[in-house]
Amino acid sequence: MTDLSRYARQSVFNKIGADGQRKLAQSRVAIVGMGALGTVAASELARAGVGFLRLIDRDYVELTNLQRQMLFDEADAADGTPKAIAAAEHLRKINSAIILEPVVSDFNARNAETLTRDVDVVIDGTDNAAARYLINDVCRKLAKPWVYGGALGSVGAVMTFLPDGACFRCLFPDAQSGGESCATVGVLNMLTGVVASLQAADTLKILLNSPSLDRRYRTFDLWNNVFDAIEVAQNPDCPCCNGDYTHLNASAVDVPVSLCGRDAYQVAGRGAVDSDALAQRLRGIGNVKLNAFMLVFEGGGAGFTLFPDGRAIVKNVKSADAALSVYAEYIGG
Amino acid sequence: MIYLDNAATTHPKPESVYAAADTAARGGGNAGRGAHSLSRAASNAVDDARNRVARLFGVSDYRRVVFTLNTTDALNLAIKGALSDGNHVLISSLEHNSVVRPLEAMRKLGVEYERVPTSPSDGVSADDVRKLLRPNTKMLAVTHISNVTGARNPIAELGALCRERSVLFLLDAAQSAGSAAIDVDAMNVDLLAFPAHKGLYGLQGAGGLYIRDGIDLAPQRHGGTGSHSELRAQPDELPDRYESGTMNVPSLASLAAGVEYVARRGVENIGAHETALANRLIDGLTQVRGVTVYGAKQGANRSGVVSLNIENVAPTDAAAILDGSFDIAARAGLHCAPDAHSALGTLESGGTLRLSVGAFNTDSDIDACLTAIDAIASGAI
Repeated sequence: MTDLSRYARQSVFNKIGADGQRKLAQSRVAIVGMGALGTVAASELARAGVGFLRLIDRDYVELTNLQRQMLFDEADAADGTPKAIAAAEHLRKINSAIILEPVVSDFNARNAETLTRDVDVVIDGTDNAAARYLINDVCRKLAKPWVYGGALGSVGAVMTFLPDGACFRCLFPDAQSGGESCATVGVLNMLTGVVASLQAADTLKILLNSPSLDRRYRTFDLWNNVFDAIEVAQNPDCPCCNGDYTHLNASAVDVPVSLCGRDAYQVAGRGAVDSDALAQRLRGIGNVKLNAFMLVFEGGGAGFTLFPDGRAIVKNVKSADAALSVYAEYIGG
Repeated sequence: MIYLDNAATTHPKPESVYAAADTAARGGGNAGRGAHSLSRAASNAVDDARNRVARLFGVSDYRRVVFTLNTTDALNLAIKGALSDGNHVLISSLEHNSVVRPLEAMRKLGVEYERVPTSPSDGVSADDVRKLLRPNTKMLAVTHISNVTGARNPIAELGALCRERSVLFLLDAAQSAGSAAIDVDAMNVDLLAFPAHKGLYGLQGAGGLYIRDGIDLAPQRHGGTGSHSELRAQPDELPDRYESGTMNVPSLASLAAGVEYVARRGVENIGAHETALANRLIDGLTQVRGVTVYGAKQGANRSGVVSLNIENVAPTDAAAILDGSFDIAARAGLHCAPDAHSALGTLESGGTLRLSVGAFNTDSDIDACLTAIDAIASGAI
């Protein structure tokens, strides 16, 4: 029998209790993305005693992550430790009684089912729409609950999707390609903390079958003090709800092409990008050169050339996954 | 789409090639396995390909042409099958990784290899090879045509030298088979590695190796051959000795059709067509400000591969712009031949932009490409 005394301040809370605490110890959660949301949610759930956490991220810790990605430190950034590994190492020191499984990999249509099949809840810690549509597809297909979280600037959103009712594609039928990202418009760490904590709380409620689970689409603006929530109806024509898992069944996975040169990968992208608007945003954070054929960016340790059709050549990256990360962070998903 | 990446794989293929592959794919049957009509049809398709390839290269006993997965596989068989502890090998400095990496792997087994200093524009000279020959030199392995610089190595002279000194002559014909005349006897080629899907206009998925009579290579793959099934050991007969496992019949059937096309149009004619296009291209490129052309100079002896760079535009960026903005397919980077880029001085800067023509390119393709490069060079930032 596992010793649950370390969770006394939680199990004494009457909505959890000793039975609830034991249930958490038997529970399994996958967190896709170990960034600002993923690290906070992982930290809270590890401390709360969720028995198994799969920590998925393809990226490496950088100095600019430390402002909001709560599990990492300067040594991780100096070493360029994979985020999944660094997160697991820190969490092991916090709770050695649970199982932590770091996965250093892109989350894609080829591995989505393998990485989610054996968990009870999936938490979205990603930063792009494509990944969320994929999580939505795989969770619908496997009838898994998942918890969406988004944060940009001071505006955040959270919604929990259960196997029944509205899905993410009912809420957002098409990818919103604002092209804005935390790299270009910034994000408050208080916001990502709030979003991730709400995601973790929802996860706990799902694992404990709590009737208090809020299934509404909740949004808030921490800077302008706006909190809102709306009901989302299931769309009868939603492809995903009708079993058409477009993103999961994609025949072509966007595998970056190694360019037979030095640490450069071509990422195909998902169609045309508004280079002028992107250049505008990127000018605040690095050097931008723009002409009719390409946008060249260098800054924040990243470098890429973006072409009008959406493809980009990402420079100075060690892996295909790292190239995808740079693309998602600076250009968008 | 204007396709200028024929050095990677030729495109398009003659219609007869697609038809042959389609027939083979629908035909069913496993070549050399069984005596029913479908199996015999597959066997006949492979046999036809072998015979046509043999005739194209002047091979008198067609069984000495063995089919492999691709040129790399053929080179691996030649290098690993022929060499052993204590052997010394000479290569040019224009070699592809498909020659260099197997040799590098063989170093662990006591094989030594050495690069002969090579002109990126004129190839390796027989005199320079002669200076580096040692008593234990077992093999000279060179590419016929550089996949980076378009330079042509003097095969007949190198072959004669190898014959005189009893050195195995391994020719990598990845870039030349189908566009440069090869006669294994006249050129004293002992081992000839070639692809189905480049200048011979077959589909991807097959290559081959010619092995001169009297040379026994250690098989690198063992298994079923459809023959001598009572034997536990790999059979001695060619081609079975080196063809374990099911063959890629659709690719080989397409290869037969491709070779038929090449032979009908004439290897020399195709080569001359490609050379003329490359010369036209270089002619135009030299008039574009900011463009540097590398490797073989204009003239009758260069091949259809042209490497260049545009000032202030990384080669990978230039290729992406040609693709995205001009619908022109080209390849950028090191082209798996880092030594050639060392020789050109383009290794550190990420290689070159490579334009490579094929039998189906036209003058207007070249002119459109020149217009595009001019636009990129003048819009460069």
